[in-house]
Amino acid sequence: MTPDEILQQMYDNTVLGKVADVTNLTKEGLALEMDPLDMLYGGENKELGGRGLLPALQEVGRRFEVGDFFVPEMLMSAKAMQGALTLLRPLLAAKGEKTVGKIVMGTVKGDVHDIGKNLCNIMMEGAGFEVIDLGVNVSPEKFVKAVQDNQPDVVGFSAFLTTTMPMIKVNIEQLKKAGLRDKVKVMAGGAPVTAHYAEISGTDGYAPDASATARLAKQFVGSDGAVPTGALVDAIAAVENMMSVVEPT
Amino acid sequence: MSIPNAPLYDYLPNEGIETIHEMTLRVLEEFGIAFNHDQAVDILERAGCQVDRDAIPAPLVKFPRGLVLEQIGKAPREFTMYARNPQNNVVLGGKHTVLAPVYGPPNVQDLDKGRREATLEDYRNFVKLAQSVPEIHNAGGVVCEPNDEPQATRHLDMMHALLTLSDKTFMGNVVSGENANDCVELAAIVFGGRDKLAQTPAMLSLINVNSPRLFDTRMLDSLFVYARARQPLLITPFILAGAMSPVALGGSLVQQNAEALAGITLTQLINPGTPVVYGSFLSNSDMQSGSPAFGTPESAAALLASAQLARKYKLPFRGGGGLTSSKVADGQAMWEASMTFWPTFLAGTNFVLHAAGWLESGLTSSYEKFVMDIELCRMMQVFRGGIALDEEGLALDAFAEIGPGGYFFGAAHTLRHFRDAFYRPLLADVQNYTRWEQKGAETAEMRAQRVWKKWLREYAPPPMDAGVLEALNEYVARRKQEINAAEAAY
Ligand code: B12
Repeated sequence: MTPDEILQQMYDNTVLGKVADVTNLTKEGLALEMDPLDMLYGGENKELGGRGLLPALQEVGRRFEVGDFFVPEMLMSAKAMQGALTLLRPLLAAKGEKTVGKIVMGTVKGDVHDIGKNLCNIMMEGAGFEVIDLGVNVSPEKFVKAVQDNQPDVVGFSAFLTTTMPMIKVNIEQLKKAGLRDKVKVMAGGAPVTAHYAEISGTDGYAPDASATARLAKQFVGSDGAVPTGALVDAIAAVENMMSVVEPT
Repeated sequence: MSIPNAPLYDYLPNEGIETIHEMTLRVLEEFGIAFNHDQAVDILERAGCQVDRDAIPAPLVKFPRGLVLEQIGKAPREFTMYARNPQNNVVLGGKHTVLAPVYGPPNVQDLDKGRREATLEDYRNFVKLAQSVPEIHNAGGVVCEPNDEPQATRHLDMMHALLTLSDKTFMGNVVSGENANDCVELAAIVFGGRDKLAQTPAMLSLINVNSPRLFDTRMLDSLFVYARARQPLLITPFILAGAMSPVALGGSLVQQNAEALAGITLTQLINPGTPVVYGSFLSNSDMQSGSPAFGTPESAAALLASAQLARKYKLPFRGGGGLTSSKVADGQAMWEASMTFWPTFLAGTNFVLHAAGWLESGLTSSYEKFVMDIELCRMMQVFRGGIALDEEGLALDAFAEIGPGGYFFGAAHTLRHFRDAFYRPLLADVQNYTRWEQKGAETAEMRAQRVWKKWLREYAPPPMDAGVLEALNEYVARRKQEINAAEAAY
């Protein structure tokens, strides 16, 4: 296969959610010494149609928002991209390119709801973020440790019960105590959480659904300025387009 | 309500039920159920289950089939729940249907004030409504979440409201073992001590399975407290197929059955004979968006099949209610609720949670929808009454009296029966257009609003012994102090 063919196949197979094929194509591309950035963004020859990973995810996001794609399809596409990214990340890092951003997510202590959080994770991974998912029933200590160890740009608290919503504030207090609060953006969400509640709990932001969460995360790293460099900024802009197909009114 | 002759709808043939039963036992033996609770795991291991304590996310318990069948056989086929007012005692099981209001929503909604966070005042209002209408037999549990009360002591306010504003049976809190214990203590004050309460069970508590195949710590903490106090338990696998079970209904029924039987087995090992209800809350996810969907045709079929399984095991059955994903009490709300009410009643469901007031996939309790649901419950009750085929039912004398081309308004048979012959709607409007318009052109929602306001206006608190009331107040005040002190120290 030529590099152009590989880029097109990566696009097609990511949209189709073919996890193994996308991983193999990535390996093949690396064997041909293709630029990992091209594989991520699709390279120069835009007139050749859909190419590369992020444009594929952009298309997946668009199809999801207009109702053509279903959750399992989105999940498989995100997985396909994740497989490729595992191979590409070290090379991107070596080139001095950072990923779009790193996010720690978890459902707060006492709470086991995770369907909503997992959808957010898929969307954020689709947007090129590295998501570290701590799972459910996550204690404040565990959140603090994960922030310490991974130094994410954003930490997200998911809460679904009025009895566990106060943990959002408790987590933030613990981050403060550990001297980490100003090093990380905090967002919160979950069915009963409102923008108002998130605000009075001391978060930096709230989002009502998965697309909005990815947009919010993007906003955080964008406004921070510290994270993305070079070509990745374009990628973020592209992803933002994808996420903003349906803006909340 | 108790309707001895009501027909039950068998959706699946017997072979189908047997297939699900067989597969269930295989799932219990081969895949097992996880219990995030050391004590529960100890008990199950001692009873002969095979346990993997290092399993992720929680210890995995595999059940020998003999144990499951033996233990569920110890649970009563039907049992009585005792109310503060003996006239409101109810039987769970058999041909009886007990209705309870919506459970869980953090928000409320009405036509005047729109959607907002629920408060203790709303909580008290919904308990009063549940007390006021005879169609509701159990005053409920979390009729809405009283967000204006502090988290740690809220259960005391809720239980106090249930015990004082209503004299029907009710539901216990399951947020923690400590809360559950407070509920038992408060009920014991009203029912004459813990021993007496154990003999006259008064509250039913909702233990949800964290499907797939996982029991959560605090649910199990609560389960232990109530089982030991011999208060009935409602073991409900909470399944939105596609997310929490396979997209196939057959597999979902197998999973639900395995989870329910595993939980019921545990209750019987803790305290043999503890009254339990086989619960089902099985709908499907919207596979496009991932959101929960209610009132779906699949959930209707699954409800009927679930009830058949409970009947096979000779256990009381919970399922259904006025479920919907709609955000307002509109057409969607009521067609989805109807889609759920039909199978609920055709299945002869013994305990119907969310029978009135459920809106927005359980995120809102609606005042207007409460009344609309009551209308449906009333109609279902009449529907289940059957068709009388005695002399009066066949009305031969009316044929003798009214000849061809005549009309029956004045027949002697009509005059004997006209007032209660047919169901009289609570809300439905049957006037002609002009009359409807002259009377204000009210929509169903507007009429429903008038009704709930009237019910609240006319609500009268059931009498309560002054000494008992004082003891309740004293307990609540003391516990609030203790809990607040403990919080402050923390
Ligand atoms: C499914 C479900 C469960 C499942 C969860 C399975 C799972 N693996 O997640 C199970 C059965 C385990 C469960 C258990 C319980 N549940 Co529940 N559950 C629900 C239900 C029906 C749907 C939630 C859901 O998954 N929605 C689908 C997703 C896709 O949508 P979403 O939740 O809105 O998520 C979006 C946003 O919120 C946002 N988002 C989510 N997380 C985050 C995080 C961040 C950082 C951001 C920015 C955004 C964000 O993006 C998501 C994607 O678009 C809700 C009711 C409801 N309609 O929400 C009740 C509900 C939340 N549960 C409730 C209750 C009471 C319980 C139980 C206590 C019941 C019981 N007695 O056993 C237990 C508690 C268990 C525990 N310790 O946590 C109540 C809460 C009420 C209250 N007052 O707090 C609700 C409202 C239902 C009700 N009326 O009773 N539940």
